[in-house]
Amino acid sequence: MVVLRAGLCPGLTEEMIQVLRANNIRTVVDFVSSDLEDVAQSCSLSYKALVAVRRVLLAQFSAFPTNGADLYEELKSSTAILPTGSPSLDQLLDTGLYTGEVTELAGAPGSGKTQVCLSIAASVSLGLRQHVFFLDSTGGFTASRLYQILQARVEDKEEQLEAMQRVQVVRVFDVYEMLRALHEVRDCLSQQVESSTGPLKAVLIDSVSAVLSPLLGGRQSEGVAIMMQLARELKALAKEFSVAVVVTNQVTKDSSTGALKSALGRSWSFVPNTRVLLQGRASPWEDSTVPRTACLAKSPRQPTGMQVQLDIGSDDVQEQRPVTPTP
Amino acid sequence: MGDAFRRAESGTQRVSSFFSLKLLARLEGRSSLKNLEPNLFAEEGSPVHGDVIEFHGPEGTGKTEMLYHLIARCIIPKSGGGLEVEVMFIDTDYHFDMLRLVTILEHRLGQSTEETMKCCLGRLFLVNCNSSTQLLLTLYSLENMFCTHPSLCLLILDSISAFYWIDRSNGGESLNSQEMNLKKCANLLEKLVREHHLALFATTQSLMQKSTNPSESFFPVKLQHEIDADYRPYLCKSWQQMVTYRIFFSKPFNSSNSKAFTFVSCHLKRNHAVKRSFTVSECGVQF
Repeated sequence: MVVLRAGLCPGLTEEMIQVLRANNIRTVVDFVSSDLEDVAQSCSLSYKALVAVRRVLLAQFSAFPTNGADLYEELKSSTAILPTGSPSLDQLLDTGLYTGEVTELAGAPGSGKTQVCLSIAASVSLGLRQHVFFLDSTGGFTASRLYQILQARVEDKEEQLEAMQRVQVVRVFDVYEMLRALHEVRDCLSQQVESSTGPLKAVLIDSVSAVLSPLLGGRQSEGVAIMMQLARELKALAKEFSVAVVVTNQVTKDSSTGALKSALGRSWSFVPNTRVLLQGRASPWEDSTVPRTACLAKSPRQPTGMQVQLDIGSDDVQEQRPVTPTP
Repeated sequence: MGDAFRRAESGTQRVSSFFSLKLLARLEGRSSLKNLEPNLFAEEGSPVHGDVIEFHGPEGTGKTEMLYHLIARCIIPKSGGGLEVEVMFIDTDYHFDMLRLVTILEHRLGQSTEETMKCCLGRLFLVNCNSSTQLLLTLYSLENMFCTHPSLCLLILDSISAFYWIDRSNGGESLNSQEMNLKKCANLLEKLVREHHLALFATTQSLMQKSTNPSESFFPVKLQHEIDADYRPYLCKSWQQMVTYRIFFSKPFNSSNSKAFTFVSCHLKRNHAVKRSFTVSECGVQF
């Protein structure tokens, strides 16, 4: 809600604002939605001047339509498909993570969510030489594990270190910190500051449920509103800057069917473009040879219900060598 | 020189006939939407200009796919079996997937050139809105566009429930101020649809659980046995009252075919309802 003030747009003078205010027109919405002929009469202002101001205000505060053909041209050059580091998961996602989309990895603890995130970070930073922004809200990010994955993929030490440097990690422990961190990323991207962040292609959030679940429940709607604000932020980031956004989420049992579904409720369920349900060992001490699986629960391209074995996890580290944490 | 003059002259003629054509189109009204998708509607079969159609359902039940289907039907040229009319798509959820639409078009246009694709997509206009205030102001600014584009017949709003929680929390204690912007949007939409002879398709997400109290049913008794939708109206009254068709989308649980979807289409003014199913494949919606 923008309040009318002098200098907001050319032609809108202080006297005009005073007169309008006396007639209960205080905001841009009030002004645009009132009948200007009536306003001109009751405020004895020039109709022509009012129409001109209205036109400028609309141009300033409304969104502008783009033609589909132009948007398509733009997308053809800006869209990229990022590999996840797991061939079977790539196949499930129709060759990988699409920029401009929010992809959700949902699963119980131990189903491999963080491992998949680390694998994505490794592929994007090593394979594509692009930057990755990793928002860690559970303390689950371990640099040593990422280093292990990189070591398993490339021999050259120099390359490993360069890849490590392209992954920027920020720890956040509540939703406000998360929103602040995302705003900073957005500011960097919109100012095209190439310095520390470079060309950013992936934003990984592990996890959204950790910061959102404490806000939900009860009869208040504020928590849901903050959740939807975060959702909006993520989707805008993905679309406007052509970034692939990946979030991880917990799972719950559906009360009527008993099937596993992603947590955070109905309103969140509409947010991700693509959703993958990860299922793994029921408990960490179970037989570790039981493979983890990934099932496509929502996709704009592929039929849902497809399921693959997740070829990720311990097998890309062949031997347990002592690991030196990176600076 | 004479040749150049003649060329210039015929040029002006073309311009003037173009203008009179435009004027005619304006006077005659917008082209018919009769063949848009008869399967979507009960009995009498087609939306008319001025109709407001609501798509309602949980995530993953095919609402967006159905919108792509309608867009494709509209923007494909008459020679390719389409309606050759323009579409305005208001995206409030950053949800529109251009690549998906292009895939559907590629399948339906058959052997087509890049030029045909561009021509089709040129009939589509997209606008992103990030708040209910911006949506309202954008609707005001679109008014002019509806005047100048006589072949713009379809307005799509995906979704109208996008700002529900944020507005509810910003509005404080009073329901009136929570619903203020949406109410204004609904009233303006009604006016736009009426004055410019558009058909409006809007989606609403099922954010609320169905009431367990049977006396709180929102369907006429006659239709109750047909509709087992998880539906509870939560948007403002102004919106509820302007909807002429409400189409409930659902996905049968435990169905062996993951591509099968169903919907129940209700004509709210005549109390008609019809249940249909469709599938979604690479080339889009199929009945």
